[in-house]
Amino acid sequence: MVVIGVSHKTAPVDVRERFAAGSEILPELLARLTSRPELDEAMFLSTCNRVEVIALAKSGKSLDDATRAASRAIREALREQIGASSIDDLGDWLYEKSGDEAVRHVFRVAASLDSMVLGEPQILGQVKDAYDAAVAAGALRSHLARCVHRAFTVAKRIRSETQLGAGIVSISSVAVDLAKRIFGDLAGSTVLLVGAGEMAEQAAKSLGKSSKSIRVCNRSFDRAATLAATFGGTAAPLDQLEAELVISDVVVASTSSKTFVITRDLVKRVMKQRKGKTLFLVDIAVPRNVEPDVHKLDNVYVYNVDDLEAEVAENMKARQGEVVSAERIVEAELADWAAWARGLNVNPTVVALRAKTRSVLVAELERSLGTRLKHLTEGDRAALAQMVESATNKLLHAPTTRLKQAASTSDADAGDLVHAVHHLFDLPPVPEAPGERGRDSRTMKATESSSTPLAADQESGRLPH
Amino acid sequence: MNELSANILFVLTSATYAAASALFLRFLVRGKGDVGKLGPRLIALGAALHAAHICVASLVLRVCPVEGIHFPMSVVSMLMCVAYVIARKRLRVEVAGAFVAPLALTALMASRFVGRAEPGEGIKSFILPFHVTLNLFGVALFGLAFSAAALYLVQERFVKSKRIDGMSRRLPPLDALDRAEHRFLLAGFPLLTIGIITGTVWAQRVEAGATADILRAVFGYVTWLVIAGVLFLRAAAGWRGRRAAYGTIAGFAFAVLVLVVYLTRKEVPHSVAASGAGAADTESVLSRTVKP
Repeated sequence: MVVIGVSHKTAPVDVRERFAAGSEILPELLARLTSRPELDEAMFLSTCNRVEVIALAKSGKSLDDATRAASRAIREALREQIGASSIDDLGDWLYEKSGDEAVRHVFRVAASLDSMVLGEPQILGQVKDAYDAAVAAGALRSHLARCVHRAFTVAKRIRSETQLGAGIVSISSVAVDLAKRIFGDLAGSTVLLVGAGEMAEQAAKSLGKSSKSIRVCNRSFDRAATLAATFGGTAAPLDQLEAELVISDVVVASTSSKTFVITRDLVKRVMKQRKGKTLFLVDIAVPRNVEPDVHKLDNVYVYNVDDLEAEVAENMKARQGEVVSAERIVEAELADWAAWARGLNVNPTVVALRAKTRSVLVAELERSLGTRLKHLTEGDRAALAQMVESATNKLLHAPTTRLKQAASTSDADAGDLVHAVHHLFDLPPVPEAPGERGRDSRTMKATESSSTPLAADQESGRLPH
Repeated sequence: MNELSANILFVLTSATYAAASALFLRFLVRGKGDVGKLGPRLIALGAALHAAHICVASLVLRVCPVEGIHFPMSVVSMLMCVAYVIARKRLRVEVAGAFVAPLALTALMASRFVGRAEPGEGIKSFILPFHVTLNLFGVALFGLAFSAAALYLVQERFVKSKRIDGMSRRLPPLDALDRAEHRFLLAGFPLLTIGIITGTVWAQRVEAGATADILRAVFGYVTWLVIAGVLFLRAAAGWRGRRAAYGTIAGFAFAVLVLVVYLTRKEVPHSVAASGAGAADTESVLSRTVKP
């Protein structure tokens, strides 16, 4: 398996956006990737912080050769994507991981351990979207699909067994969380934006969704009206601020005023008119818009940008403390995955051994049925055929189990056993890295949950790279 | 049905309330466990066992549950739990179980171990059970209002001091607590008012001379005045939040004082004997302490 891409850790946003691909061009991009002879399966993940190709190399003479060829193919596809003249133009922005490192990377990305905002939940949804797009395009079929699906399980496990996703880590989300701490459900609350700049817009996006109504009060009425229209709210000029405060519950102040826009005296008057009804003010302006003493009034709560950032920092610190536990889960899942994947290496031998045993027994049975046993009825013949099948299964149960056990613990021991079996039973030689396309066309949807390998995978004898 | 059954039910009820208290406090203080379903269910189970205990104990002792002070102490805590189980979801105050369960446990213990146990006399007037029952429902609702008010003050302190992690996250929103407190007061106030009126009518029919009697009456009227003041000032002057919470706690404290006066009174007032059959007074019946 190979992963090549750019992320917030390796490339600035102007580079990342060159690699980015919208959902409308994904099918074409995936088709281009999987049409390459070096790649067996592929998935394209494009988020605001990372763009990467996750692919399964096609069988080659050796694992290294297959991986190198896959790497070249992916880089070539990415070069085409950004319209560069040569692979070298991709510079040092790209990172590349293969084998277990690649699997670990996919697990960590899905679990948000590699995200800019540690533990953020969106990435899992983005990986699922990429997975679904690849499945829909026929670019994911078996082993890689299973690996990505396993990554979902890892992410869910980390989310449920650690506090990595606990706490809120964005200013606007913290403001919403605080408002809910005071008002509970915001469905009955009116939100007032004092100021109509970019920060007010961000706040409106978070608060506007859950509130009863949204009002915008700004020095420039036109600007207020434009913003209010965006969120289906009502606009008012700044000289009506007092009246607006009386009918609002949550206030977000973000004007560029150099003096306090909301003073203690103003809020005191407002609270009398509100009959003591709770008022929550979020002051995200610098310099501040709300006089700090307002917080001392009964049933009035003022949080400024420092208070909100302190909450964000506290939550981030708590999340950092969970990284060790999360990484431990990733390593445990990776070891489990690797053991299962190694087990696939002996599948061709198991399949060959079964085929040979069955063919010998069936041939002997056919011969006997044509001569000494030709008097047998159809029922007797069917019973004998069943007996041969049972004998094959019982005879091969122990060697099959031991081969798989050896493969899951040590490649070297499994290799010795495979050679011994091939030599003793005169089996045809098995290619080092089979990996035929389309042996198993069954693929799970991202929303399904499973951690058990498909039986078809085991039977197919596909080798992960 | 014998005393042993009553005692077994008492122990089971106590154990259930104790388990609910431990669960809620563990969740609230240490953030461990999830009280979402188990906590209220334990309180509901405790209330059911409690009701069974009251029935069995009153049959064993041949005492009406609204007679004497020890039974009503027990009944009030049981009613409080029932009201909590019914209202908690609608008012979003599940965590109030952290106050309700220990309060219920304390009242149950007090009903059994504080004061004297005396054989009960028959109720001598229909007004008395009416008066006591209304007051019991009223005090039970004030107990819930007190729980919501106490939680409000804790949560408000967290939000004001901007320490909004940890326990604050586990407490209900400020507005939900304020609203719950107000509604419990609104529901309990008419009951208390009728209770006070029937008590006043009664008091006119008997001689109340003991200090405890006077204190009980004074605390009863003060309770009514405080609660009435809280409700009036909230409607007229916007007294919400912290002020209303302090007022509610003060009102409940006076209601508890009334019960404490009953519990700690030492002798049956002479007026009982003087009142005679058919004119039994509040003191005469409430002073009979029966061990449920």
